[in-house]
Amino acid sequence: MRITSHQEPTARTVILGVAASDSHAVANHLIAYSLRGLGFDVVNLGTCTPVEEFAEACVRHPDAEAVVIGSLNGHIHEDLRGLDRAKQSGRITCPVIVGGNLSVGSHKGGTSHDRLYAAGVDHILSDPAELPGLLDALRAERAGAAANRTGLAAS
Amino acid sequence: MSLSAFPGFPGFPAFPAHGSAPPSDPAATPTPAESAAYITSLGKPTAAEVLDRCRARGRVAIQPRCGVGGHEEMKALLATLEAEAAPDILTLTIDSHTRLLRFEEALRTLNLRPADLNGYPMVAHGWRRGRELNELIEAPLEIRHGSPDARILFDVSVASGITSFEGGGISYNLPYSKAVPLAESLGAWQDVDRRCGELAEHGVVIDRELFGTLTAVLVPPSISLAISVLEAVLAARAGVRCISVAYPQGGHLAQDVAALRSIPVLAERYLPAGVTVHAVLHEFMGVFPRQRDNAEDLIFYGALVARLGGASKLITKTHQEAYGIPDTAANVEGLRLADRANSPLLDFITVDDDQVQREMTWILDEVADLVEPLLERADLIEAIIEAFAEGRLDIPFSASRYARSDLIPRRDPSGAIRYLSTGELPFSSAHVRRNTELLHAVDGPDPALDALMRGLTGDINHFRHVFQEEEPATPAPRSAPRPVSAARTPPTEEPI
Repeated sequence: MRITSHQEPTARTVILGVAASDSHAVANHLIAYSLRGLGFDVVNLGTCTPVEEFAEACVRHPDAEAVVIGSLNGHIHEDLRGLDRAKQSGRITCPVIVGGNLSVGSHKGGTSHDRLYAAGVDHILSDPAELPGLLDALRAERAGAAANRTGLAAS
Repeated sequence: MSLSAFPGFPGFPAFPAHGSAPPSDPAATPTPAESAAYITSLGKPTAAEVLDRCRARGRVAIQPRCGVGGHEEMKALLATLEAEAAPDILTLTIDSHTRLLRFEEALRTLNLRPADLNGYPMVAHGWRRGRELNELIEAPLEIRHGSPDARILFDVSVASGITSFEGGGISYNLPYSKAVPLAESLGAWQDVDRRCGELAEHGVVIDRELFGTLTAVLVPPSISLAISVLEAVLAARAGVRCISVAYPQGGHLAQDVAALRSIPVLAERYLPAGVTVHAVLHEFMGVFPRQRDNAEDLIFYGALVARLGGASKLITKTHQEAYGIPDTAANVEGLRLADRANSPLLDFITVDDDQVQREMTWILDEVADLVEPLLERADLIEAIIEAFAEGRLDIPFSASRYARSDLIPRRDPSGAIRYLSTGELPFSSAHVRRNTELLHAVDGPDPALDALMRGLTGDINHFRHVFQEEEPATPAPRSAPRPVSAARTPPTEEPI
């Protein structure tokens, strides 16, 4: 019951969850709390969420602006197996943002990130505080793209 | 519900299991009347009797967590703990497969690699072996687990002569399971509680301990106690006669003592006469100090909190808590250390009664705001399910999607646990304002997400900071994500 024609526009929706093998709940709930405070409609899938469940949530919420996946246990690469297929098949169409503690061990560098990009991740965040800014930037990008399309259609 | 009714169970007799006694025939679990007759014939005190006796003597009963997969190993563990530390009550911590009704997996692992089990697979071993354990030791046994549906485990346990059983329809669901609807877990635990009522009619009172520790991470006392009150009312209505309300040590002396002293007041207020209620303290369940001396300080401090709070029982930790499952020697040492706080020499240790009284008033008022609107409803289970869906009941950092976790706890400057966000909890404006004021000095009016995460991680690591144990240095190259790792949930009832 969120939308009727004369109400305010739909709240901005974000799909949030922790990677499949990871049961760290604290950061997940803090991010949900913080985004809700900023007015987002947060679909929080919680801890231990497989890619399949993120995909199902995207199908249920086609208006979602992004999928935000946290991972703190160093297993993100295994946990995201299938993400590229879910994107190719069109079930996940919005950008996928990943953040947290992204590999086992203390040396984290470019290779690990490149593998994530190859696996279907669009953005990697090192600081959760950057998330609201990134979501705004993604929205502006999309609005720009939509305006371009409209412009083309009108000409 | 009998074992034979469990659809996944036909493979059971095909696996020969380790150990001296043959596995019991699952179809032949004794009836409640037969189990009650066996328990009476044992001539051994029940857990409820031990708790009553300790309370009358002004002694805090001491109990460890312990559970290993193999039967002979479990026997050795119980025998050693009893011989060397003589705890008032002993424990069988149950493995994760059994908690989730995966009895076949539990049995397979038991036969192939028993050391891989993170507890004793009670159902796979069967009630005859359970009786062997029970008859081996003098102390009564409690089952500790984490099952949203513990009906089969309960029947096997009682048939084994075990007289104390932990859990509840809320407290053994939300911290442990992601997607089990509350209606299912509350329904299953009503069956367990009704079975306790049936056993009471046969003359055996089962101690039903509620798991107020929840996710074990910064649990505000009024949330822990409100959920225990609701589970206790449901249990009492179903026929339970002895209820242990367990509260997790938060780390602030006056607040913890106040929470424990609130338990008899809440029992008086919300439970029918004729139900015995005991306060139980869980020694700190969060991030433990790494250094042995510091860990032992915290263990002894917890035991003193239990003494000052008038707890009937204390569940102990060990100096190896920061590293995983303790070995038997550490478990013995943890029990012996905690028991020192029972010394008659320590009467000089007191607590600021005014401060405790103030905290108690706050806790009792907040619990009243949470539970009283629900207790008025004709169908309490329905009221609880609705309240969680709407956030009028909530827990922080839930593992389950059936709690919203809109509430955010923080420590105030004195270390007491307050509400940074009360979410949709139906607190009076005075309660919300007090929490806001107490926390204002910590974060300022509107902390940013990164500051909040750092602050909360600090709160979770409270005791490491108290003991000035530095976090291991993590080299942080520019591209590295900052670890925002905090305590792991769900908690492990046994350090698994």
